[in-house]
Amino acid sequence: MATMTDRRRFPSPFETPAPPGAEGWESMYAPYILFSEENREWEESLFWFYDSLHRPEVEVPFDTIVHEAWFMAASANISRIFAVPAANGYASRILNGRLYTTPLPVSDAVLQERVPLYLRRAGHYFEHWGELYDHWTSKMEGVIAEMRAIEIPHLPTGQEDERVVLEGRGYSTGHRLLTAYEQIIQNVLLVYQYHFELLVLGYGAYLNLHQFCKQAFPGIGDQTVANLAAGADILLFRPDDEVKKLARRALDLGLADRLRTDRRPDQIVEELRKDPRGSEWVAALDAAKDPWFHYSTGTGLYHHERSWIDDLTVPWAALKGYMDRLERGETLDRPTGEILERRERLTTEYRALLTSADDRAAFDQNVELARTVAPYVENHNFYIEHRHHTHFWNKMRDIGDRMVENGLLEDRDDLFYLNRWDVGQALHDMVVSWSAYGAIPTRQRHWRSTISRRKEIIEVLRGWNPEPALGPMPPEINEPFMIMLYGLTTDRVAAWLDGAGEGATELRGVPASAGEVEGVARVIFSPDDIPSVEEGEILVCPITAPSWGPVFGRIKATVSDLGGIMCHAAIVSREYGLPAVVGTGRGTKMIRTGDRIRVDGNTGVVTVLP
Amino acid sequence: MSIQDPRPAGHPHVLALRLCTPDVAGRVGGKALGLGRLLEQAADVPPGFVVTTDAYRDWVAVRGLEPEMERLLDGATEPAAQEMASREIRALFAHAELPGALVEQIGRAYAELDREPDPLVAVRSSATAEDTAEASFAGQQETYLGVTGHESVARHIVECWASLFTAQAISYRRRLGLPVGGVAMAVLVQRMVAAEVSGVMLTLDPVTGDRSQIAIEAAFGLGLPVVGGELTPDRYSVDKVTLEVRSRAILTQPFADRLDPAAGGVRREALSDAEGGARCLSDEEVVRLATIGKRTERALGGPVDMEWAMGPGPDGGRHLYLLQARPETVWSVRVKEPVAPPATTAVDRMVSMMLGRKGGPR
Repeated sequence: MATMTDRRRFPSPFETPAPPGAEGWESMYAPYILFSEENREWEESLFWFYDSLHRPEVEVPFDTIVHEAWFMAASANISRIFAVPAANGYASRILNGRLYTTPLPVSDAVLQERVPLYLRRAGHYFEHWGELYDHWTSKMEGVIAEMRAIEIPHLPTGQEDERVVLEGRGYSTGHRLLTAYEQIIQNVLLVYQYHFELLVLGYGAYLNLHQFCKQAFPGIGDQTVANLAAGADILLFRPDDEVKKLARRALDLGLADRLRTDRRPDQIVEELRKDPRGSEWVAALDAAKDPWFHYSTGTGLYHHERSWIDDLTVPWAALKGYMDRLERGETLDRPTGEILERRERLTTEYRALLTSADDRAAFDQNVELARTVAPYVENHNFYIEHRHHTHFWNKMRDIGDRMVENGLLEDRDDLFYLNRWDVGQALHDMVVSWSAYGAIPTRQRHWRSTISRRKEIIEVLRGWNPEPALGPMPPEINEPFMIMLYGLTTDRVAAWLDGAGEGATELRGVPASAGEVEGVARVIFSPDDIPSVEEGEILVCPITAPSWGPVFGRIKATVSDLGGIMCHAAIVSREYGLPAVVGTGRGTKMIRTGDRIRVDGNTGVVTVLP
Repeated sequence: MSIQDPRPAGHPHVLALRLCTPDVAGRVGGKALGLGRLLEQAADVPPGFVVTTDAYRDWVAVRGLEPEMERLLDGATEPAAQEMASREIRALFAHAELPGALVEQIGRAYAELDREPDPLVAVRSSATAEDTAEASFAGQQETYLGVTGHESVARHIVECWASLFTAQAISYRRRLGLPVGGVAMAVLVQRMVAAEVSGVMLTLDPVTGDRSQIAIEAAFGLGLPVVGGELTPDRYSVDKVTLEVRSRAILTQPFADRLDPAAGGVRREALSDAEGGARCLSDEEVVRLATIGKRTERALGGPVDMEWAMGPGPDGGRHLYLLQARPETVWSVRVKEPVAPPATTAVDRMVSMMLGRKGGPR
């Protein structure tokens, strides 16, 4: 049991050396995101946890921009826009390529000052939530369209097109290329401002319902509270639903065998276009693609996680699976009607257990507010991490192509081994050279050797087993995000320390979806490994991304290292009726593929069976 | 007054449990009334009947016991005298035959309890069970288990009546200034279940008062050691709304009381660690019980406290019987503090939550 007097510590970031072979890893990242001697005293006084929910992999330098945008936007939203009384946002630091985060506390005096501001500002948003959410979706459509429209021009090998002169444009393609890069960066930073516009308030509303229910019904399960608010019509399920529709259509058109051949999906599509029935199906596929296949095979937060639209392999595997199941006579429908009916029944029954009219009125308000925010909480990832980032990563690949065309890089994806400031410099270097008709040499060798050294470092860092946390035990965790999203509570963090011993067989996490099962574990770290998961296994992973949709039809339960009752794994597991324990801290370290484990989604205990 | 038929037909002295409805509450007592209400809910209650308070009063009148009882009780002001009076009333009762019609009615009702002759029954007072402490002082807690044969049943009914006049009961009524002699008692006769597992159920959390939870305690064998605190039972909790089993605490039970028809009563049996350490109830049984608890609560209009047993059923399998249901009296009467201060908005509450949590972990 953790108490205020728990004086135990996780290792200090300053006593954690670089793994041999990864020396100099710090040069990959901007200095402000590193632990430093300058701020050592402050940094050592804080509890930092490994943010494997958002950043389960080693930070490839460019990809760090997503997180940088994330925590800057979150902090500003919390402490300067809405004046959330209990928190000041977050700080992030990279250690040995892994991202650690800490919630920043507020002094009591500031806290009191913020109360009236928060009441007014948050009150305004909650009161006008519907129109503000509509406004938000149109802003998102705008910002996505803007990203799509950014043109990444080829630098002419010879003279500029004469139109530059005839139209009196006055600036070069080199300038346009630099501008395009700036636009991409500004666009990503803006998207994350929007990401948090409604999210902190949304989690506040969820947590409010959660607290109320826990006070009124101390024995109520976390996942039950989440079910009171959860919607059934979640955008994240839509891509999977589209694939189901395509599977039905393929069977109706008698195309199943042609879709099952071993050729690549794009070759099959070309083949199908040649006849009317095939074309009909391809037309349906094309209609589904935009936007539903602008959908990452992972979280969308890394450049290497390609979207369905880039590589049809993942939806194709799902398509074949669905055709098989339809042929076996299974129905693929998610029981959305039942989910809503159940939600109503639960709500009515808990309400009836409240003894006073005031409590019933408060309960109604809290449920209503949580339901009001639910569509945003459930759907924002689809707009941002999936749709927007599909275009974002591809625009960056276009920039990589330009750098390859101009001899700076060997491969377009090498660009991601430069951080966002490095990319600006490399582009500048390239455009300066181009502007002088190649009379100025670039630092090509510098960029290329930097990239190849970074590839080596990252390979070494991938083998480093990150500590779940750094620094002292936190005195108390009371910040909505930490609790709802990461599943961090003081007790859970203490359990990470408790569970650090060798030979432990029991893990405690957040009970995120009810039910108890035993089965064989399959530990996977990346969506690329999804095909290795066999029917009836228990998925053990750092986190799950919702786009792993098809895997949930095969597994018996989910165990994740990080996450709270509102993380994707929790939402999807509830939807599929699978037991889930999230936020175990060490699931992927303690459990091995092939272990027999028991997952108790009611109590949050995972046991490795002898 | 005729000994043979003291009351007109239609107002009988022996009532089947299913006839124990609120309109006859005063004549059948609280326990029988509770069981009658369970039967109304189509619950499985072991068959039984009640010998009404009128039966007691008529018997006392017909046998002319009153003057002698008054004489004995009048002088019983000191503990020694109360002991003496209690013993003499017991002897007086034992020698006063029951009216023939009543004996006949009891015999008929007893024979109907089971297809087999001479079933084992429990004979006990049907006190108003809301306050067991008071009932205990008032001498209304007498319970005889494993009684068999109609003569023995009749004898034990009289012994129950006599328990109105334990020394403790006499002293209690005298101290409270209640009438000492003019009391009456209904007696419940009920077929016993050869319980493999039995226990209690409360349709709220006894520790927190959480009305969304159902607490179940269970032990192997008959339920008396659980009720009497001789055993620490297994504990299960179930969410009343979702019917999920939320927690299970399985303890090792050293012995179990078994109904033993051959011995004509109850036998205490030692359990090995393996036997005693096994789960008393499967999750499926826990949920089945909770479902019945939830239904009963709804029927009785508030949280309930129930006793139950699982034993051989009509089809031979393990069958669930309800033995008792009464309103829960601890949390139900407590004025519950509001969860949310009145007249606040959700945003206000969000702020109090953040401020509240600032002080320290909940």
